[in-house]
Amino acid sequence: MAAIEPHAQLRRSFVYRKLRDLGARFETVNSGAVAIDFGKAAAEMETANLLGLADLSPLPRTGFKGAGAVEWLQSQGLQIGAESNRGYRQPGGELALRLAPSEIFLIDSLAGSGALIERLNQAWSWGSEKPRKLIGYPMPRADSHAWFALSGRAAPEMFAKICGIDLRLDKFEGGRIAQTSIAKMSGIILRQDQGATPVFHLLADSASADYLWEALLDAMAEFGGAPVGLSALRGLA
Amino acid sequence: MKIMNCPLNGPRNISEFVWGGEVKEMPSGPEVSPRDWAGYVFIENNIAGVVREWWCHVPTSFWFIAERNTVSDEVIRTYPASEVFNRRVEFAAPAKGETK
Amino acid sequence: MTSMVETGGVNRLPDSFGRLIDRKRRVAFSFEGREIEGFAGDTIAAALAANDQWVLSRSFKYRRPRGILTMAGQDSNTLVQIGAEPNVLADRRIIEPALGVMGQNYDGSLEADRGNVIELFGRFLPVGFYYKTFYKRGSWKFWEKIIRGRAGLGKVDLAAHHGYFDKQYLFADVAVVGGGPAGLSAALQAAEAGAEVILIDEWPALGGSLCYARLGREGDAAFNLAEKLAAQVKAKGNIHVLSDATCTGWFADNWLAIVKGSRFYKLRARSVVMATGSLEQPAVFRNNDLPGVMQGTAAQRLIRLYGVRPGRKAVVLAANDDAYGVALDLGDAGCEVQAVVDLREQVPETAMVHATRGRGVPILAGYAVTEAIPGTAKLGILGAAAARIAREGETDGAAAVFECDLLCMSTGYSPAGQILHHAGTKFTYDHAANMFQPAILPPHVFAAGSVNGTYAMEAVLAEGRRIGWAAAQDAGFARGTEPPAVTGDRGSFGQTHAWPIFPHKAGKDFVDFDEDLQVKDLVNGIADGYDDIELLKRYSTVGMGPSQGRHSAVAAVRVLAKETATDLATLSVTTQRPPYVPEKFGHLAGRVFEPERHTAMHHRHHELGARMMVAGLWYRPAFYGKPEDRDQAIREEVQAVRSNVGLIDVSTLGGLDIRGPDAAEFLNRLYTFTYAKQPVGRSRYVLMCDQTGAIIDDGVACRIHDEHFYVTATTSGVDGVYRLMLQWNAQWRLDVDVANVTAAYAGVNIAGPRAREVLAKVCHDVDLGPEAFPYMGVRLGSVAGIPARLLRVGFVGELGYEIHAPASQGEALWDALMAAGGTAGIRPFGVEAQRVLRLEKGHIIIGQDTDGLTHPFEADMAWAIAKNKAYFMGGRSIAIQTARPLTRKLVGFTLEDPSAPVPEECHLTVRNGEITGRVTSAVRSPTLDRVIGLAYVAPDQAAEGANFDIKIAGGRLIKGRVVKLPFYDPETKRQEM
Repeated sequence: MAAIEPHAQLRRSFVYRKLRDLGARFETVNSGAVAIDFGKAAAEMETANLLGLADLSPLPRTGFKGAGAVEWLQSQGLQIGAESNRGYRQPGGELALRLAPSEIFLIDSLAGSGALIERLNQAWSWGSEKPRKLIGYPMPRADSHAWFALSGRAAPEMFAKICGIDLRLDKFEGGRIAQTSIAKMSGIILRQDQGATPVFHLLADSASADYLWEALLDAMAEFGGAPVGLSALRGLA
Repeated sequence: MKIMNCPLNGPRNISEFVWGGEVKEMPSGPEVSPRDWAGYVFIENNIAGVVREWWCHVPTSFWFIAERNTVSDEVIRTYPASEVFNRRVEFAAPAKGETK
Repeated sequence: MTSMVETGGVNRLPDSFGRLIDRKRRVAFSFEGREIEGFAGDTIAAALAANDQWVLSRSFKYRRPRGILTMAGQDSNTLVQIGAEPNVLADRRIIEPALGVMGQNYDGSLEADRGNVIELFGRFLPVGFYYKTFYKRGSWKFWEKIIRGRAGLGKVDLAAHHGYFDKQYLFADVAVVGGGPAGLSAALQAAEAGAEVILIDEWPALGGSLCYARLGREGDAAFNLAEKLAAQVKAKGNIHVLSDATCTGWFADNWLAIVKGSRFYKLRARSVVMATGSLEQPAVFRNNDLPGVMQGTAAQRLIRLYGVRPGRKAVVLAANDDAYGVALDLGDAGCEVQAVVDLREQVPETAMVHATRGRGVPILAGYAVTEAIPGTAKLGILGAAAARIAREGETDGAAAVFECDLLCMSTGYSPAGQILHHAGTKFTYDHAANMFQPAILPPHVFAAGSVNGTYAMEAVLAEGRRIGWAAAQDAGFARGTEPPAVTGDRGSFGQTHAWPIFPHKAGKDFVDFDEDLQVKDLVNGIADGYDDIELLKRYSTVGMGPSQGRHSAVAAVRVLAKETATDLATLSVTTQRPPYVPEKFGHLAGRVFEPERHTAMHHRHHELGARMMVAGLWYRPAFYGKPEDRDQAIREEVQAVRSNVGLIDVSTLGGLDIRGPDAAEFLNRLYTFTYAKQPVGRSRYVLMCDQTGAIIDDGVACRIHDEHFYVTATTSGVDGVYRLMLQWNAQWRLDVDVANVTAAYAGVNIAGPRAREVLAKVCHDVDLGPEAFPYMGVRLGSVAGIPARLLRVGFVGELGYEIHAPASQGEALWDALMAAGGTAGIRPFGVEAQRVLRLEKGHIIIGQDTDGLTHPFEADMAWAIAKNKAYFMGGRSIAIQTARPLTRKLVGFTLEDPSAPVPEECHLTVRNGEITGRVTSAVRSPTLDRVIGLAYVAPDQAAEGANFDIKIAGGRLIKGRVVKLPFYDPETKRQEM
């Protein structure tokens, strides 16, 4: 796919200037401009295995919460387990994060087709039944939260500098979620490895994305961590 | 740092929480005397012993109730608010023409 | 003798000594401007001692020369200054090339301090000096200059650059503090049982006392044991060793603070083993503080760890077997031991004693050192006087003087129980062992080794294993077999003398080296009535110096017990609090995480030259232009909105989606107005009061669907409002969902007579006409292809549209509107202009024009209070308050004298010298060309046209006149165009 300007789309990453200044190449995924790489594919793969930071903010995501939300999503074909603070993988690679008994945060697979998310966003409506059947309410998750992925074996130790949760690989297994304080802001951490490489998805206040990006890079520096493009992350699988 | 066990998120550093006051019943209706109302609004019982308190896990904005011993600062039990508040609360409409 | 360069100093011992130094790497640094050479691994104090430099600093009060006391970083004698860094422990800081080290607390030079003359006036500095002096009027004026000149330790460099400090969490099943024999065996056993262990040790090499002391063993046996245990620990995959790391405090639920270099660790452990050892205690006699007088263990550390001979001729003051190990080590190091002066009447004939005797060293049993004989300028000692003990603390008969330059004190220990103290451990005095010992340990906290009163090496190792097991079990691990309990003699008897204190009639018998406190100071303090240890501490300052009583607390409490004829077992040492050793502010601050929130258009504002201001965590444009053009820029921005069209970023406004069958009922309960009958497609003002009736927030509620309100809240209020909503609904259990969507929506307000014309260029799916989309209307549509919620609201009092759109597209929205407004001359405006515009319209800002007590009637907002609701938050309080007369009222005002200065916020409104209220907002209106403002005044001054006085800066009174609101466009036609 052809490289584009990071602001070519109406939807822009919350940190696109930082990515551009670091030499990122952008490609359109769905309707957003994603930093696909930084022009060093092989080195980025290596970094992603050690400690990489990827901005996935332009990829599709959505959420539903409130009475009836989970049941409705299940009726729409989503596979959601009973336990809260767990991420449930969908057949298409999407991840349904159960943040609370009646709250789901849905993030797309790294392919970013947005098919499932688009379908659900379209399917939700107030309806015309009286009394109305409760099916939860949509949440603007593509806009409320920035989406970063931290990959690599040094990620838990890096997180220990900014977050009080024990994320060591043998203590925080794949699929687990921590909603906690990260560099003094609230955020959601989901572990979902790519192949053999640990990957932690980080979802946090979009308005603080500039700040969080810098805080992460600062914490990563001592481990040799660096930003990587989406293609490096995809390549881990 | 103290650990608080959030019924939704599990044990966490207490810095992730805010305190929301003692759990107390609100007297309702215009017949409540100013004195009783002021007592509800301004006075925390603050007994030496086990109190029921509101706590909120800030990253998830999840409110729950903790039973805490104010003498030892030991948190004895935490549970969702629905254990105590399990029915919809209604307020009686004021009588016609009544003005507060 | 070989040259100094080859040996690393005149006092450097042969290769067989010095476990922590690397003789292949020489390191040159400077002390007091003089070049010194040591070896890699040397501490500053070790390298200086190797080069015969024994004076390290001066004492705080009397400026007495001070030198090595512990070689363990436990005292303040070794505090030195390195560049901008004061109070560095010279006996812990490892030397580096070109390090510039200076002594502290002197005028002139370290070795010839002019300030030392104060010692001659010591009797004018009695205990409780501050208490006795400063209650007299004028005395501070006399003393201030002297005290300010001498107070404080070291020099602070205000221009010092900031270092890089950070923090990290650590997690363990079992944390072991202390890498001595007890800690090592505890860590090993806990790891055997299956626990993940973190072992924290202050030193570069594991082993603790095994690395330098004999501990009753021959030759290198102790050290060999250290190496064996350390190797076993390193071989364990589930033990993580933190060396050169100091645990500075225990906090609730086994949360340990650990300093290592410039990193501050926060370790959470399920269980903790404290194997912190014990601290050797100095004896008290005249001149016990001078360079050359040190603890036996300090001499052993110099010899074994750094390969430095601690003196040429020595006397050992003894009260335990370890003292004889010191005597033997000194002999091995080529130091001539003149005598062992043993406080004990009966000296047990142990192997060590026997060996000492065998070397021809005289042993004086039942003797005490009565004073150290000072050398020139007290820079060292020339000898030690010893005399026969007559009774406790007293000697008689002629003193024998032994020539020596080193006097080692080995008279007893005290548990290094500070961190156990933090955890709430109770210590009691054991008369058999003459020591305080931990009596009751809190849950999940364990103690092993000499901190627990266990000294005999076999018992220490066994107790380490036993406690390591217990800690692992407490943390939920129990693999393998449980080690047996430790029974029998644990070796605590005979380690510590009951009364190693020999006051001298001429004084300078120091109990506290940090604070230069002599025995008589404590005696006098007690005589002054401060006969509780906590009172005595504060009155005399004993234990309040940098070493926090590590060497003075026990002696002080002994003196107290004696003076008050109290049983020591009923007393305790003063409460110990974190930190155990000083922590730098840099450690506590770490990386200083200060989140910032940026709107989607943040970078556009910068590109347009905006000056930003902070609102909570948010950054907002204050105005666009250079700082020096501020007033002009604000005026032009105001004029653009009034006469043309302006664009402001309102993304920081709070946004809440309230959805569900009970949405309207929910708002009815939380806000003062009524919402049940609000039509879809309309917005309505919302005012929130707390339960006391005070105004806490406002905004608008937009009804998007019968069951959906989009409610705005103030920038700084929304998080609190959201939390409050959730807390109330946790009790009411209404069928409603509350979502804080503040960050999800970017927002702009396009305002001014030409707003519709500009918006129409990019908004095609909403009829913007005044009838189709009237004032207070709400529409869903799209702007430049971006989905948007459009609100007609009128904060600035002109035709305007607030457009809320997805944050990820906020920048594109801004760009589209700026482009669409290009030909019309659209102008971005900031918060400052908005504040002027809203004041012209008489709108209040919550938190600026209201305070924590303002109720709606005071703010003239009775119109926003519903009359017939069953309940709303604060309603009962408002009803009670409004039944009473008002005490103040918020009014609009202008100034009688048009040339009078603009009052500032919080200037008082006064009447006959009494305060009636204050100005909350005031500005010279560019539109009306006069001063306008809001102020609280007395209710009887609130009528239109009434005059009141405003006391402005400098005390001048200016006349305000009450004006009906709004100041601008009183018919409110412009916003409804």
